[in-house]
Amino acid sequence: MNKLGRGHRDKVQQFITITGSSEKVASQALKASDWHLEGALDIFYTKFQNPYVDMILADGITLLCNDLQVDPQDIVMLVLSWHMKAATMCEFSKQEFIGGLQALGIDSLEKFRDRMQFMRSELKDEQKFREIYNFAFGWAKEKGQKSLALDTAIGMWQLLFAEKQWPLVDHWCQFLQARHNKAISRDTWSQLLEFARMVDPTLSNYDAEGAWPYLIDEFVEYLNENGIIQKGQLNDWSQKC
Amino acid sequence: MTMNERKTIDLDQGWEFMQKGITKLKNILEGQPEPQFSSEDYMMLYTTIYNMCTQKPPHDYSQQLYDKYRESFEEYITSTVLPSLREKHDEFMLRELVKRWSNHKVMVRWLSRFFHYLDRYFIARRSLPALNEVGLTCFRDLVYVELNGKVRDAVISLIDQEREGEQIDRALLKNVLDIFVEIGMGQMDHYENDFEAAMLADTAAYYSRKASNWILEDSCPDYMLKAEECLKREKDRVSHYLHSSSEPKLLEKVQHELLSVYATQLLEKEHSGCHALLRDDKVEDLSRMYRLFSKIPRGLEPVSSIFKQHVTAEGTALVKQAEDAASNKKADKKDVIGLQEQVFVRKVIELHDKYLAYVNDCFMNHTLFHKALKEAFEIFCNKGVGGSSSAELLATFCDNILKKGGSEKLSDEAIEETLEKVVKLLAYISDKDLFAEFYRKKLARRLLFDKSANDEHERSILTKLKQQCGGQFTSKMEGMVTDLTLARENQTKFEEYLNNNPNVNPGIDLTVTVLTTGFWPSYKSFDLNLPAEMVKCVEVFRDFYQTKTKHRKLTWIYSLGTSNINGKFEPKTMELVVTTYQASALLLFNASDRLSYQEIMNQLNLTDDDVVRLLHSLSCAKYKILTKEPNTKTISPTDHFEFNAKFTDKMRRIKIPLPPVDEKKKVIEDVDKDRRYAIDASIVRIMKSRKVLGHQQLVMECVEQLGRMFKPDFKAIKKRIEDLITRDYLERDKDNPNLFRYLA
Repeated sequence: MNKLGRGHRDKVQQFITITGSSEKVASQALKASDWHLEGALDIFYTKFQNPYVDMILADGITLLCNDLQVDPQDIVMLVLSWHMKAATMCEFSKQEFIGGLQALGIDSLEKFRDRMQFMRSELKDEQKFREIYNFAFGWAKEKGQKSLALDTAIGMWQLLFAEKQWPLVDHWCQFLQARHNKAISRDTWSQLLEFARMVDPTLSNYDAEGAWPYLIDEFVEYLNENGIIQKGQLNDWSQKC
Repeated sequence: MTMNERKTIDLDQGWEFMQKGITKLKNILEGQPEPQFSSEDYMMLYTTIYNMCTQKPPHDYSQQLYDKYRESFEEYITSTVLPSLREKHDEFMLRELVKRWSNHKVMVRWLSRFFHYLDRYFIARRSLPALNEVGLTCFRDLVYVELNGKVRDAVISLIDQEREGEQIDRALLKNVLDIFVEIGMGQMDHYENDFEAAMLADTAAYYSRKASNWILEDSCPDYMLKAEECLKREKDRVSHYLHSSSEPKLLEKVQHELLSVYATQLLEKEHSGCHALLRDDKVEDLSRMYRLFSKIPRGLEPVSSIFKQHVTAEGTALVKQAEDAASNKKADKKDVIGLQEQVFVRKVIELHDKYLAYVNDCFMNHTLFHKALKEAFEIFCNKGVGGSSSAELLATFCDNILKKGGSEKLSDEAIEETLEKVVKLLAYISDKDLFAEFYRKKLARRLLFDKSANDEHERSILTKLKQQCGGQFTSKMEGMVTDLTLARENQTKFEEYLNNNPNVNPGIDLTVTVLTTGFWPSYKSFDLNLPAEMVKCVEVFRDFYQTKTKHRKLTWIYSLGTSNINGKFEPKTMELVVTTYQASALLLFNASDRLSYQEIMNQLNLTDDDVVRLLHSLSCAKYKILTKEPNTKTISPTDHFEFNAKFTDKMRRIKIPLPPVDEKKKVIEDVDKDRRYAIDASIVRIMKSRKVLGHQQLVMECVEQLGRMFKPDFKAIKKRIEDLITRDYLERDKDNPNLFRYLA
């Protein structure tokens, strides 16, 4: 350490704050990158990178969550993925990760943690929520598939609608499991948010002649058949107990 | 006589002379003894006027004479005419009036002749009313104005008397009413305002009274008889004494009071209304109903609506009847369309014949009734009976008529006629594609198993179907019929080939029907392990086929094949007519005496279903060619089979039937799949031309395009739209989810 000049010492300090690595690793890394601090993000990435592929995978994400002190199941991870434009759930490519950090202006673990709070608040923004919601479909589905597996979809809905209250979400999930039991198309996915936003939970303004996806039409039939909606009133046992 | 010689006549002197003439005229009119006017008299009177009008002023008395002309009438009317009219009443007054009017016209004629010179110069030059007009006006202003109310009442009361059946002097009425017309001098105002309006009001009141009683007392047919009679009599009335222009107005009033006001009550009379008439086939009354109600505005609508209800109810009853019959026997023969259903189609045809005749005869071919008939049939024709759709019932019905030994024994003409009617019924069926698919299945069986009774009927119904549903509808069926002709030619060539190449002859007679895949229903082609003898046959045919064409692939459908094989039973050798499947199974027993179910299945390479079906036909059905161990009625995978050498039968040749697999489900599935393609194609076609379209319009256009073949379900269309979105043919508009865009 004392071999280093003052400028270099500062950079080592900075490097440590970003990456949380030891002093030794820091100075080695900085030396290797010819004292360019940008390389620090690379090192930061390397910390979570999967040993076999050039990507951050599930275990890396668990590690990252530990550092950030959030639950990997926390919805804020979805917001983070949205910012990083991540193609797939539980995965960040190097480009996505570093590009995302730069876009978010994160250059220290501290800042990263702070940012997470901000990201959580973004869910309250109607417009951003819609973008995140629609992003979630592509993010959560299996690569190469056109539609989203039902289990995943239900998980995502429960996560998303926990943020943005929709009283029918549990009925919707029950209905899908009972009557549909197939994957969910992108159209149905995106129209469901519109349905949740536009159609009153008592269905008073639901138009059967409208262009709602047939699954949503059937959901409405299911609600009526099962007496969940009666005379424009929501008889919701799930909320009572 | 020259001008100079003429003596000036002064007014008093001249008028005194005229007065004498006028008095003479009055006397004649009053019927007092008076000699007729001679031409000399007339000439003198005329000349006097002429002279008095042509004298130099101040002795030109034209104006004074014109006035006096009028005064003469006024004086006569006031002193004689009016008093005589005032003292008479009712019919007598009317007679007097007619007489007075006719006299008045004579008087006007004569006086205007005497004063004719006034008309020629004085009046013409000053544009005054002409003499004739002045004469008539006097009568109008003095007599008509005073009396028209009284006259009108008298006339109306006479009309009412006549309506009640009394004899009245029609000629008198005619003459009186002529006065109303003539007094208008070319205008109808007086007739219309002073008489007609009141007469119409009275008529309305009269019939309103009548109708209110009749509607309570009379049955619907009686009421209609009365109404028709009344209308006829009113029409008669017009021709006898009313002005012809009154006819439409008068009839309109009567129709309104008798029909429009009580239309609903009349049509819905419980035991005699329209329903009852239809129920009791009261053709004449129904014709009368049509005649009456066609005249009142929107009068036929309720009639046609009751007609529709009635036909729907009759049809629905037939459906119910057939349904009950079907459920009674359902236990033993499920899903097989039996006699009951055939009877049902027959009855529907009869129902259609009957009510089509009603539409043509009673309801004069009116479009409203054609529409009602169509709608009614569409309602119950699409209901289906006992789990079979009506499309299937119709196809089966056709099959029964067209196949050999079907349950219907009909003459050629009767067959043609029946086919014609079935095709007519098809127009009411919304699932025409389903009919086509069932029909094709049955047609295939008829053609392939040589069950078609008559080639001409086959072609004739296809022509009828083509006319009604279009060429696309029948193209495959026509292809099938043609295919079979080609296949026969092909078979002849194959036989020639065998004769020319005796070395390749397999030693078994082989008939192959080569068909075009696209025309025929799809059949499963399993890799049945054919017996070696048959494999040889297949190879020989394949070689032959290769010589004719290089690039065609032959797919063998053994499930449709039949074989005639000899069974060497101990009692006698018999010829067995079996399917290729059955033959293959039986031939296995040439090599082994006893085989297990499993062995048979493995050797034949068939599915469980097929093996069970064919072993059942050989060991558990009427002819037990195989003995089964254990000897039960059903086949189980643990059974063993042996050739039953002891088997025999009265006949030397027996046919061992293999019950066909129920294809209904497959047909419906096929149709469903075809519909998906059809909806996809339709949506893409529409969107390709419209680029952007709202959901509602898209669905509507789609239904319209496909309606000729089937009625697509809205949900199905929705699913197809979503599928097309997933496949990137369409997208939803970003801002309006009800709008779709075509993605080229």
